[in-house]
Amino acid sequence: MASSQRQLLSSTLYPAIPPRRRSPPSVALFSTHFDERKVSPSQISTSKEPGNWNRKKLLLLSSATAAASAAGGGFIFHLFSAASHGINGGSGGGSGWGSGGGGGGGGNGNGGGFWSRFFSPLSAHAEEEKQETGAGPEWDPHGLPANIVVQLSKLSGLKRYKISDVLFSDRRRGSTFSTSVDSLFEMVSLRSGGVYTKAQIQAELETLASCGMFEKVDIEGKTKPDGTLSLVVSFTESTWQSAESFRCINVGLLPQTKQPDMDVDMTDREKLAYYKSMERDYRKRIQRSRPCLLPLTVQKEVIEMMRNQGKVSARLLQKIRDRVQRWYQDEGYACAQVVNFGNLNTKEVVCEVVEGDITQLSIQFQDKLGNVCEGNTQLPVIRRELPKQLRTGHVFNIEAGKQALRNINSLALFSNIEVNPRPDEKNEGGIIVEIKLKELEQKSAEVSTEWSIVPGRQGRPTLASIQPGGTVTFEHRNIKGLNRSIVGSVTSSNLLNPQDDLSFKLEYVHPYIDGVTDPRNRTFRTSCFNSRKMSPVFTGGPGIEEVPPIWIDRVGFKANISEGFTRQSKFTYGLVVEEITTRDETSSICTHGARPLPSGGLSMDGPPTTLSGTGIDRMAFLQANITRDNTKFVNGTIVGQRNVFQLDQGLGIGSKHPLFNRHQLTLTRFIQLKPVEEGAGKPPPPVLVLHGHYGGCVGDLPSYDAFTLGGPYSVRGYNMGELGAARNILEVAAELRIPVRNSHVFAFVEHGNDLGSSKDLKGNPTEFFRRAGHGSSYGVGAKLGLVRMEYAVDHNSSTGAVFFRFGERF
Amino acid sequence: MAFQTAREWLGIQQFPAATQTKLIELLGKLKQENVSTLTILVMGKGGMGKSSTVNSILGERVASVNAFQSEGLRPIMCSRTRAGFTLNIIDTPGIVEGGYINEQAVGIIKRFLLNKTIDVLLYVDRLDVYRMDTLDKQVVTAITDIFGKIIWRRSLIVLTHAQLSPPDGLNYDDFVARRSEALLNYVCLGGRISKKEFQKNRIPVVLVENSGRCRTNDGGEKILPNDIAWIPNLVEAIINVATGGGQSISVDQKLIEGPNPNNRGKLFIPLIIAFQYLIVKNIHRSINEDLKKEEKPLWELRDLGLAERKF
Repeated sequence: MASSQRQLLSSTLYPAIPPRRRSPPSVALFSTHFDERKVSPSQISTSKEPGNWNRKKLLLLSSATAAASAAGGGFIFHLFSAASHGINGGSGGGSGWGSGGGGGGGGNGNGGGFWSRFFSPLSAHAEEEKQETGAGPEWDPHGLPANIVVQLSKLSGLKRYKISDVLFSDRRRGSTFSTSVDSLFEMVSLRSGGVYTKAQIQAELETLASCGMFEKVDIEGKTKPDGTLSLVVSFTESTWQSAESFRCINVGLLPQTKQPDMDVDMTDREKLAYYKSMERDYRKRIQRSRPCLLPLTVQKEVIEMMRNQGKVSARLLQKIRDRVQRWYQDEGYACAQVVNFGNLNTKEVVCEVVEGDITQLSIQFQDKLGNVCEGNTQLPVIRRELPKQLRTGHVFNIEAGKQALRNINSLALFSNIEVNPRPDEKNEGGIIVEIKLKELEQKSAEVSTEWSIVPGRQGRPTLASIQPGGTVTFEHRNIKGLNRSIVGSVTSSNLLNPQDDLSFKLEYVHPYIDGVTDPRNRTFRTSCFNSRKMSPVFTGGPGIEEVPPIWIDRVGFKANISEGFTRQSKFTYGLVVEEITTRDETSSICTHGARPLPSGGLSMDGPPTTLSGTGIDRMAFLQANITRDNTKFVNGTIVGQRNVFQLDQGLGIGSKHPLFNRHQLTLTRFIQLKPVEEGAGKPPPPVLVLHGHYGGCVGDLPSYDAFTLGGPYSVRGYNMGELGAARNILEVAAELRIPVRNSHVFAFVEHGNDLGSSKDLKGNPTEFFRRAGHGSSYGVGAKLGLVRMEYAVDHNSSTGAVFFRFGERF
Repeated sequence: MAFQTAREWLGIQQFPAATQTKLIELLGKLKQENVSTLTILVMGKGGMGKSSTVNSILGERVASVNAFQSEGLRPIMCSRTRAGFTLNIIDTPGIVEGGYINEQAVGIIKRFLLNKTIDVLLYVDRLDVYRMDTLDKQVVTAITDIFGKIIWRRSLIVLTHAQLSPPDGLNYDDFVARRSEALLNYVCLGGRISKKEFQKNRIPVVLVENSGRCRTNDGGEKILPNDIAWIPNLVEAIINVATGGGQSISVDQKLIEGPNPNNRGKLFIPLIIAFQYLIVKNIHRSINEDLKKEEKPLWELRDLGLAERKF
């Protein structure tokens, strides 16, 4: 069932970008896709492979926004991010930092690892350190005099030093500051309070030196009286000549250029030729790249940043990368990342972005254990639900993924839906969108029973009045894999005597009658049904006591075709054949309404209940309904308009050859009174609701098809049908909704009128039951969750009352 | 109620000689007009003196009168013949009950009147009632609904309990005039009779005093405070109305049930459907416009290449 469904939209990223050879004046940046700092550490589990700085991150977040956007049912939004870097060390990774780096990092296994650390989440890292020191505060005092500067090499390799603090000293600026001031230092894994060995500190220094961010870097220790060490990282940042323009290119899916290795023994001329060829290659690469989605506004922002900064420094590049990536993340391009900066030391900085081009869309079915299996559902059924932005050649956007998730969910065929973007190993920079589906059981049957205790005499439940009730439902879903279904249900509120009150429904639904690949969305439905309702036509006005109720039993058959234009707008047309039986309280067939007389007796000569006068009518008619609904939610409040036109056209087939044209037009406008900023948590706008409903009938009109006035969906403040029953009616209503906190209060005015057509209904039930035929009401109310509480003043008698209702009036 | 065979009008002999002469003279006048049957329908609220009036006209105690209680809900028809002339008087129960029109009583009256022809309607009310309310209007409306507006061309208003001394020292004739005016006003309202129509065919107002203590004149005739012998006066007025134009109303099934609203406009259904087709078309068109106007999220626009790096 829908409630037990679970959907997943996960974005899994394995090695973010495989390492590649780079042209010399370039910077390689690996980054993960989610701003991990937003995620609390408890939601991150890290695993560490010691020795190698490879790191996998698993982010598991239950996203509230995803849940809110779900159509219904439980929604778990999985973000699955695992990034492992430096698989191949710095075979070139670290070599790119301009002239300074020069390739010094070549072959250094830790080079790549450094990068991963650079961008790995702080919190995750901190946790890792904790694990290391988790055994206990075991550290060795330095055993040196206090307040002397010690070279790293002078430290003992056997001791475990406790670092009391880590200071940074920028040699160029001549300033010293501690960690977490500058983004640059996120890469330093040494933390104050940690315990490290000399080898660890040395490794740290090596990685810092090889990363290319610094021209020069050194670590010195300063002894503290309490036996701890204070580390000073002194560095000179790498810089390049200042640039004036900035360019962002999409290098996704570009084939990797193979660079000939630079031979150490090359002559100067050879070197020159080599650089030239590389420069040429790079220019070609830029030419072949595609324009990226990054808007000019962000580009201008970046240029501004560069202008303010002057020289292009490592820190600036980092900032640029952060800004560009933030834009992509904010816009939902979850797979986009800045992979490289090229053309450094020229006038133009080139930012290479892999935006996440979809190279393949794969749909998989899973069995209950999660193994891939053959699905019953035909693939076109799923494909037609996918937005075309998920097809090959488009850039992956998480919103498109969410939409796919919602659309597939609305099919109600799957218990679990996952939409995963996954890097394409064969096609670098490409994304494979994987859709994993767990199908629901095709056939299901359900029996539910319930005991209803109905009040007996004097309101006390007696044993005889405790009735067992129950429902038997069976379903055969997704027949032929084309989402066709048969659903049947039988309900009785009294299983001991089911013939008393038995309702059943058998429905067959056949979607895609124009073919599953045809964009036209028409569904054929046919059903057998029965229903029992109390007729509001036979209801007393204010001056009349209890009117004996009349029950309208309908048994029939319905077949219609419904065409969906949008999610809410649709056109339905079909045929209804039904038998209507009118019964009184004792379930015996009755032909006329009754009214109590002041003498205590019943006047049995009320309006006829049926057209035939026998208490049983049979008729066939055509039914059409067109709904135009362009309402949408603005911060949780409905805005837009809804028009519904419904027509029942009698065919002259049935008892007394009923020929009629019964029509209803409903117009509802939800007018937003104030422009508001849209977004989660923003207040909704005040809304004015205008509503009009006209109902009319020409031709044979039996009482059960008459339009009634009064009731929570007609004129509030009155009972159902309290104002009258007529051939033509007009209802108008206005409601003003003012948002208060995350709910709203409202004031309304409503009026219903029979347009003098009560007398055109046989037996004039309006007059027979002494009803006014028209009435107005006004009142105020508040929405309390799902419940509407309202105080409505009935204008006919000028008395007010408080009502509690479920659901919306409009 | 079955038709009683018309009996000889014996009650006429109980009237004083002067009244008898007058009545016979009036009947003779009717005969000249070739009218051999006259059917009078008496209607009004309960307790107004309908049955007493019937008794007074016939000079017999045909309808039982009880001071405190209305007789059952059955209408009574009395037929009397005199020299080849038949007089039918239909007495009806009051049609008001508990401040509302009693549809049941109306229904019984309707069914009783089936296949009868009504020549004159006597709408009975009391002279000594000073106030009028919407109930009077409702009664008039109910009567109009049964027979249609034309019934008022064939009706006269009878004000009973005419022997009274007007309050506040008003002149009797003045009082009668004002009371009639007020009542006629309501009749016009309830019967939906326009002022112009009313001016053309005024509804006559006749005073009646059914009490046994009614003053009599020298001839033994019952007279009103304004010295008019009211029985001959009433009969004269009835005969004037009966011969004064307008049409007798023959009550048939159709009149009782009213026009069948279910049949009205059936012929126009094809036209209505054509119009409705236009409505559906119109809504369909606006749906298509909605589809075009639908706001697409930025990412979708970018995907369509519409962004041109502006957003």
